[in-house]
Amino acid sequence: MRDATEARPHGAVPGARPDAAGAPAPAEPTRLTIPVSGMTCAACQARVQRVLQRTPGVQDAVVSLMTNTATVHFDGAAIAPRELVARIRATGYGAELPREEVGALEAQQALDDAREREFRELRTKALVTLVAGAIAMVVSMPLMEAHAHLGAGVIDPFMRWTTAWISPALRPVAPWLYGVPAPVLSYGLLLLTGGIMLWAGRHFYVRAWRAFRHHAADMSTLIAVGTGAAFVYSAVATLAPGSFLSRGVAPDVYYEAVIIILGFILLGNAFEARAKGRTSAALRKLVDLQPATALVLRDGREQDLPLDAVAAGDLVLVRPGERLPVDGEVESGESAVDESMLTGEPFPVAKAAGARVIGGTINRTGAFRYRATTLGAKSVLAQIVRLMRDAQGSRAPIQNLADRVSAVFVPVVLSLAIATFVVWYVFTPEGTPPLRAFAASVAVLIIACPCAMGLAVPTAVMVATGRGAELGILLKGGEALERSAGIDTVVLDKTGTITEGRPAVSDVEALPPFTGDEVLALVASLEQSSEHPLAGAIVGAARERGLAAGLATSFRSQPGKGILGSVGQRALVVGNDALLRDSGVDVEPLAARAAALAARARTVVFVAIDGRLAGLLAVSDPVKATSRDAIARLHELGLSVVMLTGDVESSAQAIAREVGVDRVVAGVLPAGKVDEIRRLQREGRVVAMVGDGINDAPALAQADVGVAMGTGTDIAIEASDVTLLRGDLRRAAHAILLARRTMRLTRQNLFWALIYNVLGIPIAAGVLYPAFGVLLSPILASAAMAFSSVSVVTNSLRLARTRPA
Amino acid sequence: MNTDDVLVILAGIVAVAAVNWWFFLAGREPKAKRDARRN
Repeated sequence: MRDATEARPHGAVPGARPDAAGAPAPAEPTRLTIPVSGMTCAACQARVQRVLQRTPGVQDAVVSLMTNTATVHFDGAAIAPRELVARIRATGYGAELPREEVGALEAQQALDDAREREFRELRTKALVTLVAGAIAMVVSMPLMEAHAHLGAGVIDPFMRWTTAWISPALRPVAPWLYGVPAPVLSYGLLLLTGGIMLWAGRHFYVRAWRAFRHHAADMSTLIAVGTGAAFVYSAVATLAPGSFLSRGVAPDVYYEAVIIILGFILLGNAFEARAKGRTSAALRKLVDLQPATALVLRDGREQDLPLDAVAAGDLVLVRPGERLPVDGEVESGESAVDESMLTGEPFPVAKAAGARVIGGTINRTGAFRYRATTLGAKSVLAQIVRLMRDAQGSRAPIQNLADRVSAVFVPVVLSLAIATFVVWYVFTPEGTPPLRAFAASVAVLIIACPCAMGLAVPTAVMVATGRGAELGILLKGGEALERSAGIDTVVLDKTGTITEGRPAVSDVEALPPFTGDEVLALVASLEQSSEHPLAGAIVGAARERGLAAGLATSFRSQPGKGILGSVGQRALVVGNDALLRDSGVDVEPLAARAAALAARARTVVFVAIDGRLAGLLAVSDPVKATSRDAIARLHELGLSVVMLTGDVESSAQAIAREVGVDRVVAGVLPAGKVDEIRRLQREGRVVAMVGDGINDAPALAQADVGVAMGTGTDIAIEASDVTLLRGDLRRAAHAILLARRTMRLTRQNLFWALIYNVLGIPIAAGVLYPAFGVLLSPILASAAMAFSSVSVVTNSLRLARTRPA
Repeated sequence: MNTDDVLVILAGIVAVAAVNWWFFLAGREPKAKRDARRN
């Protein structure tokens, strides 16, 4: 069989599972996740995604603004990963090939480090730029006064206001400044502004230019055009003031606005980088769970080895209070292990020989040795981190709205800015400086940056998935969240979901001449071959009573009904009344007893030996302590709750009454669960199915939202939309509540981001000027823009405080 | 309205047209190429 890893480029994994039959995979798309740096808004992300999607050989590409990655499915024969990276770089953003076999934990660590660096760099640039902006403002005061007597007022309302306040105070403090010739001040400002633009703002101009060449535009375009126009205008006024004066226009310069706008935008970006980092705090907490070294018994000696030196099969020693370094199986010793960080389970879980333990959990009471099983990228912790990273990088369908808007947004804003200039220039009231037209159009460009829109959805998804993980709920990304919010019906599997899923034999009844032990021993012998949950209970009960199990000579299972077979010379039929009736056995003598047991929520199994009714076994599966409360909470959320079970009606009804379920569908064969969900969906219901994730897999897939109740070690996590790491049904209610809050918050975010632009642009264009004389300064516009991004992210962070339902 | 105003209006119309042409029309993937990619 071809080694699936051989043909892969670094860090790539095939999109589909390797073909178990070993057939050569036909043009299977290769998946590659490429870290991309420098993206700040929805338009940036849409642009990188578009370029990748249009690259020949690429089948699909999804770019995430939050995780700063591009996930590309491509034909490895048609295009090399290096070429993909080159394409991204050509758009003006940074990209590099992922490192080989980089684990999810290392990848997250690298991402966090990169984000921290980005934040520090942006912060330094923002602070230096704002200080330079303050200096430029002070230096501009004498210039403005010098120009004022030329008949032109200060055009920027914000500057006019500050001039009125600061200038009188500045004159006594620094009278020398007013003695410096105006051209010297102008040239000084020209150099300062040019320097700041090159040092702190360079990436805006580079990106804007590269985007422009690709017929695309993003936030950088607006900033570059806005500040660039102001700078060019001012430079002409400085270098050739005569051309202005000859037309009766003061050679006003606008340098301080350029610098301050850049400063505010950089400050906004820095806050954004910091807040984005905080949204992944839950993920980082998971990453931090892994200790750096493991105490391993090798060659008869205890050695403290770094984790990457630990191999599967190594014997690992853990002392009380220590964190388990890797996953494994207990060999000797006993202890209680605190798994709350992974499963949300508050009480330590007892572990003895044979028990599975998970790396990252804390050993509480005793010391034990265990054998390392899964390591590195395959470990449970790494898988949870990877799933969460994928979830956080995934896109909610509602995001498409933001993308569609921002793709046409920038060209439309550029057009509006031009129109603003023309209208102001032509209809400017008598006596106003024509430069006001210019200020208004720059303000339009600056206030229209769609950053907040780009952040509205992904920040909410990111915080929600993080908060979910803290509660032991793994949400499979934005789409799962959006669908979970729309659920109106919850279908619960009985066994393992409502009940403990650990059935035990409660009653054994035998009809003479058979004895109870005889019946139990024979049935247990046959059930040894069965994988049914009830079989385990029966075999266990026989073992408890010290009954020797015989060898089954034949065995046939009838799913949903029972089993038939022989043990020694005895022919057995074990199952429900229908199976016995089919075999020509009358269950009437035990019918009343069976009904009484079923009414007490026992599952009754009839036994016929050699064609005669021999007795019955009753199996009880205790209801989880939390189920009743959980179902009440689901009702509080306005959901209707349906219980599906293979049990007989009366036994199912007894459980339903105990936990308060509205509707019971009993006697469902495993395949029937899918049909039942389909039937509900045809009724127009949006259905969530909660099951234990293994035998319910088809039903989980059929449901609009599949909720797997795992134990944290279960790889059935892969098959569901939502995974509850702890077997507590209340978490299902929490998950739905969290999803609803997230969607409400997302809509709020989009609304505010949109309203901000819808109101901001006309105000910047000056529609309020004729009536109220209100005109937005470009400087205030840049501050408002930074504020809007920060407010959207802050709003999303509120989800981190969501209390369980 | 003086000559300057007329010139500014004309320049504005040309600029808006240029912006929209560049971003919406010139940047569009040719249909044949797009179909080829989707198939």
